[in-house]
Parts: sequence; C-alpha cells; structure tokens
Amino acid sequence: MALGDSRSKTDQVKPKDQFDLLHDERVRSVVYQLLTAAVVGWVGWYLFTTTAHNLEMRGMDSGFGFLGFEAGFDPAFRLVAYEVGVGTYGDIFLIGILNTLYISFLSIIAMTLVGFSVGVLRLSNNWLVAKVALAYVEIFRNTPLLIQVIFWYTGIFSLLPQIRNSLDLSAGAEVVLLNNRGLYLPWPVPGDLLWMTGLALGIAIILAVLFRRWAHKRQDITGQLIPTLIPGAALIVFLPGIVYWMTGSPLGWEIPELEGFNFAGGATLPPAFLALFVALTIYHSAHLAESVRAGILSVGPGQSDAAMAIGLRKNRLMSLVIIPQAMPAIVPPMISLWMNVVKNSSLAIAIGYPDLVAVFMQTSLNQAGHAIEIVGMTMAFYMFVSLTISWLLNIYNKRVQLVER
Amino acid sequence: MAIVKTENTPARAAPLTERSIIGWMSKNLFSSVFNSILTIVTLYVIYITVKDLWVWGIGDAVWIAETRRECFTISIDGACWAGVIAWFDNIFYGRYPREELWRINLGAILLFIWMAPLWLPRVKAKVFIAVTTVFLYPFLAGYLFAGGDKGIFMQVMITAAIVCLVANTLHSIIGVSNGTSLPGLVLRLLGKNNAPEKSQRIILFSILLVCFIVVYLWQMSWSAQGVSWTKWGGLFLTFVIAGVGIASALPGGIVLALGRRSKLPVIRVLSTAFIELFRSVPLITVLFMATTMFPLFMPEGFILNKLTQVIIAVCLFNACYMAETVRAGLQAIPRGQFEGAHTIGLGYWGTMGLVVMPQALKHMIPNIVGTFIGLLKDTTLVSIIGLFDILGMLRSVSRDTPWIGLHKEPLIFGAILFFLICFAMSKYSRHLEVKLSTGHKK
Amino acid sequence: MTDTDKQEKQNAGEQLASAISSEVMIDLKQVNKWYGSFHVLKDIDLIVHKGERIVVCGPSGSGKSTLIRCINHLEEHQTGSIVVDGITLDKNLKNIDHIRTEVGMVFQNFNLFPHLSILENLTLGPIWVRKMPKADAHAIAMEYLERVKIPEQADKFPGQLSGGQQQRVAIARSLCMDPKIMLFDEPTSALDPEMIKEVLDVMVELADTGMTMIVVTHEMGFAETIADRVIFMDQGDIVEENEPNGFFNHPEHERTRLFLSQIL
Ligand SMILES: Nc1ncnc2c1ncn2[C@@H]1O[C@H](COP(=O)(O)OP(=O)(O)OP(=O)(O)O)[C@@H](O)[C@H]1O
Ligand SMILES: [Mg+2]
Repeated sequence: MALGDSRSKTDQVKPKDQFDLLHDERVRSVVYQLLTAAVVGWVGWYLFTTTAHNLEMRGMDSGFGFLGFEAGFDPAFRLVAYEVGVGTYGDIFLIGILNTLYISFLSIIAMTLVGFSVGVLRLSNNWLVAKVALAYVEIFRNTPLLIQVIFWYTGIFSLLPQIRNSLDLSAGAEVVLLNNRGLYLPWPVPGDLLWMTGLALGIAIILAVLFRRWAHKRQDITGQLIPTLIPGAALIVFLPGIVYWMTGSPLGWEIPELEGFNFAGGATLPPAFLALFVALTIYHSAHLAESVRAGILSVGPGQSDAAMAIGLRKNRLMSLVIIPQAMPAIVPPMISLWMNVVKNSSLAIAIGYPDLVAVFMQTSLNQAGHAIEIVGMTMAFYMFVSLTISWLLNIYNKRVQLVER
Repeated sequence: MAIVKTENTPARAAPLTERSIIGWMSKNLFSSVFNSILTIVTLYVIYITVKDLWVWGIGDAVWIAETRRECFTISIDGACWAGVIAWFDNIFYGRYPREELWRINLGAILLFIWMAPLWLPRVKAKVFIAVTTVFLYPFLAGYLFAGGDKGIFMQVMITAAIVCLVANTLHSIIGVSNGTSLPGLVLRLLGKNNAPEKSQRIILFSILLVCFIVVYLWQMSWSAQGVSWTKWGGLFLTFVIAGVGIASALPGGIVLALGRRSKLPVIRVLSTAFIELFRSVPLITVLFMATTMFPLFMPEGFILNKLTQVIIAVCLFNACYMAETVRAGLQAIPRGQFEGAHTIGLGYWGTMGLVVMPQALKHMIPNIVGTFIGLLKDTTLVSIIGLFDILGMLRSVSRDTPWIGLHKEPLIFGAILFFLICFAMSKYSRHLEVKLSTGHKK
Repeated sequence: MTDTDKQEKQNAGEQLASAISSEVMIDLKQVNKWYGSFHVLKDIDLIVHKGERIVVCGPSGSGKSTLIRCINHLEEHQTGSIVVDGITLDKNLKNIDHIRTEVGMVFQNFNLFPHLSILENLTLGPIWVRKMPKADAHAIAMEYLERVKIPEQADKFPGQLSGGQQQRVAIARSLCMDPKIMLFDEPTSALDPEMIKEVLDVMVELADTGMTMIVVTHEMGFAETIADRVIFMDQGDIVEENEPNGFFNHPEHERTRLFLSQIL
C-alpha cells in the first residue's frame, strides 16, 4: 500500500474563489477594530455623560479654575516659599511635585550605591559576608514596603530622644543633630567669591577628562599604561581646594541652634522624610542587589577563564571583561527600579510626609473637590516621569546596541 | 619501550584542606588577611545584632499581660508580645463575628482541598481544576463569607461549585490511587467503557445533572447570617483582596497581552495605552481614583461599596502588571511554533490556545509567582484608604486603650508573617524555575 | 527484498512516470515580494503539476525559503497571483485556512511542539482542524508513525528524540493532515550525516506514492533520484529550470555552473 492514500479522504469542500465578505481578512480586521473602538467609545461616552450628570446634580463645577484658589493649609515640609492664606492649590501641586522628586532623587542615589555594594557582596568569596548580604536581600525584599515605612516612622524615628537630648551625629561638634523632630543639618551660605571655586571645579573636571583621553591615546600609540584615576581625582580635589582657600573660604555654614523649644537655622529633615528615605533605600537596594548579582553571574565563568588565560589581573578582568558585559543586563532593571522608587515614594501618605499624593490627591481633593482634575493631574505627573525614565532607558539600549554591533 | 601499568591506582582521601571543616573555613572565611578581618568584624556585628534582638524579642519579652503598662512593669526594655497575642483574632479575622469564624476557616479549608490536587502527581485534567478554582470557588467562598440572601444566580453558582468540588476531589483520589480519571471509573463501573463516545457523554452528562439537582435542592435549605463587609478585616481581608486580584489578573493579563501583540492597530494601541497607564502610576493613586471617581461614574442611585471599589482597582492594576509578564512569556516562544501550528491548519485561537499558551504559561510560572508576591505585598496599601486589612489591624493595636502606643511589636509580627509567606513563595518559584529549565524535556 | 516486493516497487515506479498529470496544483504568476524595501522575490513564474516533484536550490539568501513559505501563506506576497489547487491565495481567510490544510510543510528545525507527546503532536491537527474523533486520529497517527518507522516513540516527547527522528515525526505530522502537496525547507540541513539518510529514505518513499512535492535542499544525490525538475534561484530570480539530468550535466547559466562547482 502506498504512503499517501492510506485512508478514505475526508470530504473537503472547496471554498469559492470569489470575494467573500464574511471571511475576507481586510473586512474582518476593520470589523474587529471598529467593534473594539465602538465598545471603548461607548464606555467612555457613558462614563462621560453619567459623570457630567452627577456633577450637575451635586452642583459641582469642573475645570482647572480651582488651581488659582487659596489652599488654606500648610504642607509640613516644602522646598519653596509658601504662605498660608495666600498660596493656591497650584502652589500646592508644585510643592507636592518638588517633595516627591526630592525624596525620590535622594533615595535613588542612595539605593543605587547600596544596591551595587550589596550585590557585589552577595558574590564575595567570604562565605559569611555573602550570607549576610543574602539575608539582607531576602528579609527586605519579602516584607511589604508599607510595613517597613511605617516601622521606620513609628518604631524608630518617632521614638528618638526629645529635642533637649538630641543625638549628636557629629561626635561632639553639635552641628548634626538627630531627635524626634527630625535631622538637623548645617546649611551652606555661599559667599561672594564662591563662583571662582565652582569655576575651578569645572576646569579641573575638564582637565581630568582631557588627561584621561590623552593617556588612552598614548597607550594606543606606545602601549605605555599611565595611571589616570589617582592623578585625576587629585586634580579634582586640589585645584578647587586651593582656589577656595586663596579666595578666603567664601562659604559659610549656618548651624542649627537651640532657640526656645526648637532649633533654628540650618536645614531640617522631618522624621517622616527620614523614615521614607531609609525605607525606600533599603527596600529597593535589596531588589537592585539581586539584579546586580544576576547581571554579573550572567557573564558566565567562561569569560573570566578566558580573561585569566590571556593573563588579565583580577581588577582589569572586572573592569575590562565582566562589568562591560554585565552592565547591559543590570541597567534596564535598575532604571525600572528607579521608576519604582518614584512611584513608591507615594507611600509617604501613610506617615505624613507631604508628597504629591498626600498634599494634592488627599488634602486638596478633600478640601476642594474636583476629583477628576486632581486625579488626572497627579496621574499625568507620574506618567510624565515614567515616560522620561523609559526614554532614558531607550537611549541606553540604543547605545548598547551600537556598541554590540 | 612501552610503559605499562598493571594495577589501577586506588582512590585516596582528599587532603585535609579539601574536606575538613577547618579546610573549609580557611578557604571560605580566612583566605587572606583582609578576609579574616572582614570575617571577624562581620561576626562581631552579627553577634551584637542577634544578641540585642534576642534580649529584646525573646529574653526580656513579655508574653502574658493585660495592658502595655503591665508589660512595662514586668520588663521595661523587652518586647510586649502580650499585646499582639491579645489582638490575634483581630489581626487574622478583623471584626468578623466571633461565633461565625468557622465560615472563614471552612472557606480556607475548601480552597486547600480544591487546589491540593494541582500538586499531586498522577492527577489528570489539572487545567480544569485550576480553571474551576478561579471561576467557581469565588462564588462559594463569597457566600460563605458574606452570607445573607442568595438569589437564583448565586444558588446556581454555589451548586455548581459544590458539585465541581466533590467531583474534583473524587477525581483526584481516584487519580492518585490508580491513575485513572473519575469519568473513566464511572464508565467502567457501569460497564460502558467500550460504548461509543456519544453515548458515554450522554451517560456522564445525565449523572452530572442528577447530582446538580440533588445539591441544588439541598443547598436551598441553607441560610447563613449576613456579615457586612465592614466587619471583614485582618489577614482574611488581605487574602480576599489579593485572592480576587490574583485570580482576575491572569485572565485579564492574557487578554491584554494578546491585545498588545495583536496585528490590528486599534486593538494594539488601546491595550498598550491601558497597560502603560496603569503601570506608570502608583497603586495608591489608582485606589484614590477608585474611591473618589468611581462614585461619579455610577448612574444615580447605584452605589458601590468601598470594598468593591478597591477590588476593582486592584484587579485593573494587577491585570496590567500580569499582562507584561504574559507578554514576556509569549515573546519567548520561537516563531517556528506559530508556523508549525499554521502549517497544520490551526487558526489564531487554535494556535494560541493549543500550542503557544500552554508552553508560554509553563515557562512563565516562576515570573507569575513573582508577580503574585508583589501583588500580595502591595495589597497592604488598602489600609491607607481606610480598609482594615492586616496592616490596618496591626496599626489599630497602638490605638487600643490598653495597648496605646504599642507600634513596633505588631508591625514586626506582621512583617514576619509576610516574610514567611513571600519567602516561601519565592523559594518555590525558584525551585520551579530550576525544575523547568532542567526538566522541560520531561 | 522478496521478488513480490520488487515487483510492487516496479509497478509503483511505472505508475510514477505516468503520475504527473496535466492537472495544475500550484500556479505562480509574476509573484513579487519585498521585505521592507528589500526585493526578495522578483517576477516568479512557476507551474507545478499534480504529482510533480520539484527540487529548489540556490545560494543562501536567494529567496528559496521565502518562495515556498509564500505557497502556504506563511509569508504574504505583494503582487502577482498564487493559485494552489484551484484556490487563489488572497485576503480570504477561509481560503488560507483551507490551503493550509491541503499543504503540508516540513521545516529545517522541525518545529515540533515540545509540550506535547509525539502522538499528540500528530493528532493535534486531525482532532482540532479536521474535527476527527480521537480514536480515528490515533489510528491514523500510529499508521504514519509506522510508515516513518518510529511507532515505539509515540509516547515520548520531542526533546527525547534524535534530530532524524524528530524530522520524521514532523513529516508524519504533516501527512496526518492528508495533504495534497508537501513543502520541505532544507529538511536535512540541521542533521548529522547518518540521520540525513533516514529522513531522505522517508522522503523517497513519499515521492514514490505520487505526492506533489517541492523540496528546498542541497542534497544533490537526492535531487537527481527523485526530481522531475530542478529549479535554481539566485537573488530572488528563477535563473534556471531543467530536468535533473540536464541541470547537473549541462548547466546553461553562468551562476548555476559556479554554484554547482562549489557544491559538488
Ligand atoms: N523576516 C524577514 N525580514 C527581512 N528580511 C528577510 C526576512 N526573512 C528573510 N529575509 C531576507 O530575505 C532574503 C531571502 O531569504 P530566504 O530565507 O528566503 O533565503 P534562502 O534562500 O532560504 O536562504 P538559506 O539557504 O540561507 O535558507 C535574505 O536576504 C534574507 O536576509
Ligand atoms: Mg532558507
């Protein structure tokens, strides 16, 4: 018996050749899309009309006019001037955004440093250190961030000593003080000639970069290895240092002084800020550490073997072979963790740090109404940040691809 | 001249540095001066931390007391666990009527019975069991937890859930004991196992119908006291919200992910916009949106309670996160699989349902579990908008008159609880990952 | 081999010669395809009759795969017409579905479904597309597994089979759909030499049954034994088309000669 005709053929009706409305790909595609658009449009329209009706029934107006109204409350922490009774909801929106960005920015820097360190420690050849790093990662990754935030706030920073018994973090100099009202720091007061120091710093950085380039070129030509790290660092430290000294140290420090029941002068970071900062840093650094570890491990043992086989030392092996290959695996998750820091800073609301959600979405919304506008503006801010960050990520990915090519 | 070795060299023990504990230590702890210093410093830090924690949390801790003041009189610088213990029921069940707690426990047990077969070997039709857990169990549990009057629809769903649960359980027992399935055994007992497929189906269907009617009549006599959602709380409420969120996340996520990968631009753009919108904003803003904007969306006279609002928000949020997990899983399926499916004539749904999804989901399981862990942790945010989930309860301890100001202990207890759950889940997902990456050839 | 066997084979061979009927199975007219702005197929004209076996060869990147993938609409062509078994490949989804059930395809890298057992791989199409009862589908699948000489592997998974075995399963999977045309895209180029033979044997046997086949391959020995026609492609053009004897012994085109000198 032959291979092809081993069984009776199932009946197959040949479809017709002409244009078939029901089964035409283009028709279907248009119909599906129209259907989807219609359903979404109908839902949108329905929500819009009911909302408009509801607003009318409750006698509420809509629009962004309320942003010009006086807000009448004072955010407990702010970076710009604001006066109760004068400041508007628009000002509050701005204060909220700045507060969110401020805590996010500082937490992102701290979390990146800590995360990289812990990630490298996870791979330490010291068993004990590696296990401690592992414990850090597992403990802080597997408990809810909100519990951590509240714990740091109610369990640690609110239970610090009273003002009179402040902890002195500057070892007796009484310039950095910590108590249950927050952290008190000296604040720089720039003098007249400070710009010269700034200029010197800029020049030093440019010189250091140029020096590095020159050294690389020289290495390309002669093969001579010129150390650049220490001379460069020295340049960046000493040149501005000398200028600063020669212009008569034009930078004063305002130091917190006890006046009555509180400190005046200097800068103050409230406990809520500190708690949120510590919690955000720890929680996200634990996540980052895992990405760093995974990124380094993803390079694979073959690469180190090969690098060692051509005689590279451990530090060069890291900087020339492992790190360049690990970075493309580390950077994308790291950037999305940065985004998470910004989003999670909204947990501020649980402990009263006046971030955007707390002052705008909660307090302002409760006072002024306008739920739709306020929710929309708040979400728009986060979407804007998210778009910015994914734009950064895209740039990075493009560069990596260019290098790989 | 040839060199010939006449005897095999016997294996000798490795040198001490390779096998003894001392060898291990000198390799892993004291390999260099720097490492030795590091080890000693670390040991010291661990010692200090553990000692302090031990003294505070166990050594000097107070386990039995009536008030926080009493705790202080017994031990001034130990933990006051007595407060947590006094609040145990509240932390787990919220303000659910104490004499009705059995309903919550029963719900938990039923869920366990329902899902356990998924982990048993030799049980067939696991997909069916998983799907019914998602689509039928919630009705049964919802009735158990909320009680009150049940409409016709509810009655039908409850009946279906019970019939299904009993069938699943019998099926699993049969599967574990002799490797067949429930329908197979039933047919064999009736001596119809060689009958044509059609008549087999009719027999099975009529048996099912009879069971359904019997259970329906039986459940009509039930009545459970209604418990308002405002009384729900504690870990129970956390699990309800997270559970509904998780159960809806997967189907929702699959739909959104398919939409995002669709060839049709309108569908693709809408799905992408929806996913990106919810993924770029914090959950808390979504929760605020739900509580402040949903009421405006509703037609007059129709009021959603806060719990429903929150659950809808959590579902939307979770579905969008799951969509990205699913999308990553779909991207990992090679193009050849789609083409192979097309060449044997499968259409879009056949290709997705029979070839692509089964493979993608299997490889996604570790990531799905990871997403679930994130969702469970995120659920604590509902306490911010005033629901008394576990965190809400933990924070209430410090506002209870006898325990006023007791912050740390409840929070640490909650943290440990979450840690145990999340850590176990993440270990399990890593285990699955290893199993899948080595065992995908079966 | 017994005498009767031989007899049968000869009979089959005689049938073969006459098996090519005048009925047109595949008809490509002025087919053009672009990937973006890259012109992959240029004015392709090709007629394949029922029972004909065509071998396509040519340098890498010349568009061989693209050509045969257009025939069952895995790729869409932009201009020209493709008619398979009297059905035009156009935007009509029903036509596409129908053609895919009539045209089997075997890939270089098998594309078996790793999550299904061999038997399930074979019965998936018959059950879900042909809507066949399970028992019948099983019977047919087993029959084809026997044809490709691996019935004992039915309950294993693709990952547990050797490459040659996997490719034979892939062939059997296509045959289970009872196709009228079989397309092969370099079915042996991912295989070790000893496995190549077992796959080619199956294909030769299939050719003997009078199946319409288009085979992209660089196995020239195989081409010489089974092909009715050999087509040589270069840069998206069909450069030369001839019966195997003429093609291999008296290539006309410069490019063909160069290609043959490199490959033989
Ligand atoms: N999806 C695609 N997008 C863009 N270009 C493609 C795509 N697929 C194939 N090509 C290009 O089209 C050309 C023809 O590809 P095709 O796979 O048909 O060649 P081939 O003759 O089968 O080569 P090989 O012998 O290597 O399989 C190649 O230059 C290839 O780079
Ligand atoms: Mg090819």
